[in-house]
Amino acid sequence: MKKKLSVMMFTWEFPPRVIGGISPHVFFLSKSLAKSGVKVYVVTCDFPSTPSYEVIDGVEVYRIDSYKNPAPDFATWVYMMNLNMQKEAAAIVNKLADKIDVFHAHDWLVATAGIGLKHVFRKPLLVTVHSTEIGRRDGLHTNTEKMIHETEAWLTYEAWKVICCSDYMVSHVRWAFGLPEDKLVMIPNGVNINMYDKIETDLKSFRAKFALPEEKIVLYVGRLVYEKGIHVLINAVPKVLDKVNAKFIIVGSGYMKEQLLNIVRSMRLEHKVLFVGFVDDETLLRLQKCADVSVVPSLFEPFGIVALEAMAAKSPVVVSDTGGLSEIVKLDTTGFKAYPNNPESLAWGITKILLDENYRTYIRENAYRQVQEKYDWEKIAQQTKRIYQTVLGEYSKSFWA
Amino acid sequence: MMRVIIFSWEYPPRVVGQLSEYINALSVKLVKKKIETYVVTYHDFLTGAVEEVSGVKIVRVASPVHANIGVLTWILTLNQEVERAAANIYYQADKQIDLINVYDWHFIPAAITLKNAFNVPFIYSVESLEDQRSSNSNTPYNMSIKSIEWLGFYEAKKVSVKSELMRNEIVRIYKVPDAKVKVVSPSTDSWIKDVLEIYTSAAGGLNNK
Repeated sequence: MKKKLSVMMFTWEFPPRVIGGISPHVFFLSKSLAKSGVKVYVVTCDFPSTPSYEVIDGVEVYRIDSYKNPAPDFATWVYMMNLNMQKEAAAIVNKLADKIDVFHAHDWLVATAGIGLKHVFRKPLLVTVHSTEIGRRDGLHTNTEKMIHETEAWLTYEAWKVICCSDYMVSHVRWAFGLPEDKLVMIPNGVNINMYDKIETDLKSFRAKFALPEEKIVLYVGRLVYEKGIHVLINAVPKVLDKVNAKFIIVGSGYMKEQLLNIVRSMRLEHKVLFVGFVDDETLLRLQKCADVSVVPSLFEPFGIVALEAMAAKSPVVVSDTGGLSEIVKLDTTGFKAYPNNPESLAWGITKILLDENYRTYIRENAYRQVQEKYDWEKIAQQTKRIYQTVLGEYSKSFWA
Repeated sequence: MMRVIIFSWEYPPRVVGQLSEYINALSVKLVKKKIETYVVTYHDFLTGAVEEVSGVKIVRVASPVHANIGVLTWILTLNQEVERAAANIYYQADKQIDLINVYDWHFIPAAITLKNAFNVPFIYSVESLEDQRSSNSNTPYNMSIKSIEWLGFYEAKKVSVKSELMRNEIVRIYKVPDAKVKVVSPSTDSWIKDVLEIYTSAAGGLNNK
């Protein structure tokens, strides 16, 4: 019998350690790969009261001591953490006696561990670029930013294939690091549709905690930071309220919170805009089910997973026409696309969805079907597995094989 | 015949301190004693990447990341290139490397990874300690370097120093077991004999596995 294809993933976050989008991404990708017959090992950072080794749905998860070495700043911490990750992973691979076929790294946060192990074990390395320093900072302004950018460039140079989650990111990454076309692969991010199935259908009493029965719910989920464009939504609030009675629910926190609260106060709309902060998963899923419209007003967005989650929860979406969001949503078919950084346009879309029931039903059903067809984790795992196989086919002809 | 890779961040013509000349003299002597000797060092563009001088095989690696925020991040990103160079030697030598000898803290991360990956033991040779270089400095930056030194002492099969004074310092600061540390001084007549002795004791048995 042919040996099972096996991959070792490197990620700095894996549940229950959740900092951003990489954690759920690697979690669902690993589980779906395991389901499709790939042997998956995940090497990640430790987390309080979590075992250093466990098996989750067939995925072997190793958590390494990530604070063993002191560090003067975040970037140095990352490299010092990689030192330990690489050491632990080297011992694991050694113990497994050559059973790993490919290494798969997620972002620069695990770059040095992945690059070193590629050469030490002479196995192909793949990388998924979730975000870039030059995109996050809108340019490179300090030595730290330049160093991170160069580390990202080095990682994509060493990688056999570079996976991006949207066409937008493919072209962004090609531009940022000057990569050849045939090195880049687009595999979308996924969303787990089933997680909304277990939410009860009668959410009336839950809803009553957040809004009056006659108020429509407009939902924002995201960090309260500039690039997410939350201030654009806040500026759109009075324009929406001119036309329709609604309650704006803002989930998440960030450095802009005080500033946003002040704007709301100055408009005397405290009773219409509710900042609920960070909420647990159950509450979030219910809110997404309750929302009459979900808004993603980002100014920079490599992918836009929140929009997909809303679509999976059958909540109609209004997004800004930028980055990955432009690809996820088709105007007037699966949602409304507003001009970025434009409160009037955003308000127009929100109002249209809230007032036009036929339009609302049409786009939410299309959106749900689209999510099922394109953003299903099992299909994404299949695509990823095919990339591994392609790489291994090429690798088998190299002198490393 | 024994096969050894020496890691040093300085090697002629790159001279930062006295380590450079020491490694040069040592590696030439080792070759004369029929030890196949490789030196992996930093490439500062005064030389080619690969050369052989008096039988010593030298591989020089360059920084893949140029914008850095200090010596520490420069070193931490340079280590993967040291690993690459050492792995190339390892595979070309049919996976028969008996020992790695790493000088000071810079390339300890690479030595540790290679030990865990290939079961190749390493000797950590101490020229100086962070505690002495930056006396009384306990900033997170100094502590990072000290933690790499500590990891080096912990993972090393043997530690070699040039004086009793240094041996006492290491035992005092890092609580390294006395027996793990050996004095190998270039100012004594038994210098190369002592080097070969510690090499043999650290590499012991690996070829016969």
